[in-house]
Amino acid sequence: MPSKTGIVFDIQRFSLHDGPGIRTTVFLKGCPLDCKWCHNPEAKSYIPQLSFDAEKCKNCFECVNACPNNVHQIVESNHVVMFDECKLAGECIAVCPTSALEIIGINNTADEIIEIVLKDLDYYKNSNGGVTISGGEPMAQFNLTKELLVRLKELKIHTAIETCGYSPTKKYAEILHLVDLFLFDFKETDEERHKLYTGVDNKLIRENLEFLLDNNAEVILRCPLIPGVNDNENHFKGIAELNKKHPNLKRIEIMAYHNAGFAKSKKIGLAPFDSEIPTADENQKQKWLNSFKALGVENVSIG
Amino acid sequence: MNEQMKNPLDYTGKFSTELKFTATYKKYKNAPTAFREAMCLNAEYPDYFSPVKDGDLFAGRIEHGLVGFSPDEWGSTAFGYYCLFDKLSDEIDNLDDTDELKTDLIEMLEFWKTESTSSKLRAAYNDEMKAHLPSDDWMHDSGIAFPLYRLTGANIDFNKLLKIGIPGLRIELERNKIIAKQDNRDFEFYDAAQIALDVFSNVCDYYIQEINEQIGNVSDSNRKNELERIINSLRIIKESKPRTYHEAIQLMWIYSLISDTRNLGRMDIYLGDFLARDIDAGIIGEDEALLYLESLWKLIADRNTRVHGRIIIGGKGRPNIKNADKFALLAMEATRRVKEVEPQLSLRLYKGISNILYDKALDVIAEGATYPILYNDDVNIQSVSKSFNFDAVESENYVPYGCGEYILEHQSFGTPSGVINLLKALEITLHNGFDPVSKSKMGLPLGEFKDFKTFEALWDAYKSQVEFYVRMMADHEKLEYEIAGKEAPFLFMSMLYDNCIERGKGMFEGGVKYLGGTLETYGNTNTADSLYAIKKMVYDDQKVTAEKLLDALDSNFANDEKLRHDLKSLPKYGNDDDSADEMLMKVHNHVGNYTRDQAERVGLDSYLVVIINNSANTLMGNSTSASADGRLAFTHMNNGNAPSGGNDVNGPTAMLNSIAKPDTSIHAGSVQNMKFSKRMFTEHRDKLKALLNTYFEKGGAQAMLTVVDRGDLENAMKHPEQYRDLIVRVGGFSARFVELEPEVQRDILNRTLY
Ligand code: SF4
Ligand code: SF4
Repeated sequence: MPSKTGIVFDIQRFSLHDGPGIRTTVFLKGCPLDCKWCHNPEAKSYIPQLSFDAEKCKNCFECVNACPNNVHQIVESNHVVMFDECKLAGECIAVCPTSALEIIGINNTADEIIEIVLKDLDYYKNSNGGVTISGGEPMAQFNLTKELLVRLKELKIHTAIETCGYSPTKKYAEILHLVDLFLFDFKETDEERHKLYTGVDNKLIRENLEFLLDNNAEVILRCPLIPGVNDNENHFKGIAELNKKHPNLKRIEIMAYHNAGFAKSKKIGLAPFDSEIPTADENQKQKWLNSFKALGVENVSIG
Repeated sequence: MNEQMKNPLDYTGKFSTELKFTATYKKYKNAPTAFREAMCLNAEYPDYFSPVKDGDLFAGRIEHGLVGFSPDEWGSTAFGYYCLFDKLSDEIDNLDDTDELKTDLIEMLEFWKTESTSSKLRAAYNDEMKAHLPSDDWMHDSGIAFPLYRLTGANIDFNKLLKIGIPGLRIELERNKIIAKQDNRDFEFYDAAQIALDVFSNVCDYYIQEINEQIGNVSDSNRKNELERIINSLRIIKESKPRTYHEAIQLMWIYSLISDTRNLGRMDIYLGDFLARDIDAGIIGEDEALLYLESLWKLIADRNTRVHGRIIIGGKGRPNIKNADKFALLAMEATRRVKEVEPQLSLRLYKGISNILYDKALDVIAEGATYPILYNDDVNIQSVSKSFNFDAVESENYVPYGCGEYILEHQSFGTPSGVINLLKALEITLHNGFDPVSKSKMGLPLGEFKDFKTFEALWDAYKSQVEFYVRMMADHEKLEYEIAGKEAPFLFMSMLYDNCIERGKGMFEGGVKYLGGTLETYGNTNTADSLYAIKKMVYDDQKVTAEKLLDALDSNFANDEKLRHDLKSLPKYGNDDDSADEMLMKVHNHVGNYTRDQAERVGLDSYLVVIINNSANTLMGNSTSASADGRLAFTHMNNGNAPSGGNDVNGPTAMLNSIAKPDTSIHAGSVQNMKFSKRMFTEHRDKLKALLNTYFEKGGAQAMLTVVDRGDLENAMKHPEQYRDLIVRVGGFSARFVELEPEVQRDILNRTLY
């Protein structure tokens, strides 16, 4: 059987924050949610896309001549990029004298991914680490994700997946036995607001979370907190309730907002999220921790 | 020199010791060399010792003069009977023409121009060496290889010294003299060595008197006690073997200074028992023992040997592990407190070493000490045994000295007396025996780059170029020992080097057990990455012609930004990419094996490359043109065995996988620098250990860890291309620092790490 393929936008070795030990994190491209604050905007689309870094561009305009699709244009001596017109053949990249242009996302087979992952096998063994499949949303490229999990388990490697929870429950059931740890995102308790900020409601997400916990999966709840957006009393209470209801929930990790996604959005031609929102500082993080402790949540940390 | 020879003792005032030394040398010029050396030692010591300073808990500071005797005075031509010509010339220029001293100094300078040991070595060069090694100024001149004149890196038998003391040495000399006489062998060595030990006594006496004078002016009773303790120890070590920890350190320190050996070896072995005994007997407390070490550390720092001052702790083969561990912990604490460039504290790790030691080491490094440097016995003992041909038990006594060359403590010697810039060798080869920097002929003309029809043809030419210089360096090394052996026995070193006393011979006249040598190689990674780039771009993919590439290199990529970008984007050593790593190993194996093969040809026990780090990669890079790996002209080259300039972009596991690949059994030491954020040492300590342990299991030999600090991040903002490996935590995710927006970078700079 040929090995499954998928669109990967990064494979990060020596990843220390996506599960226990030393890990390799495989980032798959594409996500069913559309979170306003996304710090990985290049992960949203399911297909490869052109990225243009104006900081690195030297305005030599070689790309303007090279592109058969008029993606690169000089408008009033500014370099303007028509991202939607790009056919991804990379003629412009071949002539660019800097690394200002790149195509994010390449088609990888499971074999290719496993080959990279195996290079650090000894490090996983010595640190009780393993491999995390992240994204984007790994459940959205389910065939590849599942094959990777099967192969990793055959190799006796610890597996984790980072998921936004928005995928049919039967798919989670299908991989339950292959996943040692779920890093499960929970973004907003209030249904309306969830829909407003992520584009989908949280009903299915909640169901899946319950399903995993009821089936004794190992779950860490990951909660992105964005100052002034979802760091409200109601959401904190919602998290606290979940925690109380499921004593087997391993831990809650606060993923504090950082506005680095702002610049990344520009590179791929997306309208950036509200630039007014400040990065959460240490003070802010401490306050959040205190609020959780006040609600009786002890197993919470900054991720 | 037809004037009447002055009596050595007639000189007073400035440079009187230098003049006295010179007069003494002249007087004994034709005497047996051992005797001449002893008399010269007597002329320079104790003069070159200087007074005890406030706060010193031991006597022993030294300031060598412009003329003297030393195995390795700092300066490119200063070993044996040395004269620091440049400095002396400056001093002469500053003197008034009417000054009588000026005449004396000029005469002295002229005398040493032919009589200094390095002059004699130079004079012994054959025509080929004279033609192809025209310069000694490796720091400034452009060149492929340079000879160094020094007998550096001795690690004498401090353990024996502390066990038997000066009287024990005297007895051993006496006993062996009798045997030598019976066998009808020369015995000048023994008599001369006894004189040298008298000089040692004189130094003790000098300090006793000097401190006694100080004590009169000291009102603080604490300080008085400290000074009295020094006097006591000096009295003891003159006459008997040391009994206490303080006496032991005092003896070791003065002997190290007077022998001018600059590396201190396995200190936890030779001081561990003294420490434990004194603490158990209640003679000192741990606090006091630590203060002693701090004082010793400061004395070592002030001695400022620049690249030496090694102290080894840990490692297999320690007779009393418990006592040694106790000392090792104290030594690391002293390093944490003193935080100086020297001593270069080095910890030999092995499976089963106490975790307390390992953790203490990481604690100290995390505080920004850069020490201890970590060595992996589980790899190194075997490698040393293989590369030097020592047996496994002997090899347990390997010690790194200086910038990281291995020898066996008090058994083998292997001064690094040559440097070779491999990248320059490639540059010269690409230019058919012409150096674009000095605009002159250099090396061997082996053909034009464009005429090498295959990569293998170019590779063969590069090899011939390198080999030509390696051979000369080996010849130089051998010659250096021959001249040194003819000139002097190096009494203080030889007395504490195996076999010398038994044989009644100095180290370099047949006394030492194993006589080897080392050759420092630089630019290894840039050379490999450049060769890879040439192979790929010119030969395999034919994306650029040889002429075009050479033009681009000659113009420092002035009009070839795109080509430079493409060259830089090719796979590079340090990313766990087999094709790039294989080229590094090809370069490594070639120079390593070829150098090793020279030992037999020139008649040394070993001759091996070392891949070490110091400032040579920067200095020699300053006279090396642009290279095909995309490196710009006159910029630094890679450091040690490290990937070059932040070229390792796949993270530390990939980097470690790469650097663990080159064969460790064909060299005499290789250095790996790595930087980690402070969080790795604190929050992620277990992961850091797992990372290092895995690297060590994979064959990693050594690790010099440093903590990323604010300065690094600031530099990374200015020179992002050199910091592509730097990963930082940003909010809930990690990112390559140089990829972040300046705003975000500033934010990280302001908040992280400390
Ligand atoms: S080719 Fe590259 S550097 Fe030149 S204008 Fe286009 S993006 Fe900018
Ligand atoms: S990848 Fe092709 S279509 Fe897209 S911008 Fe570059 S040249 Fe144009």
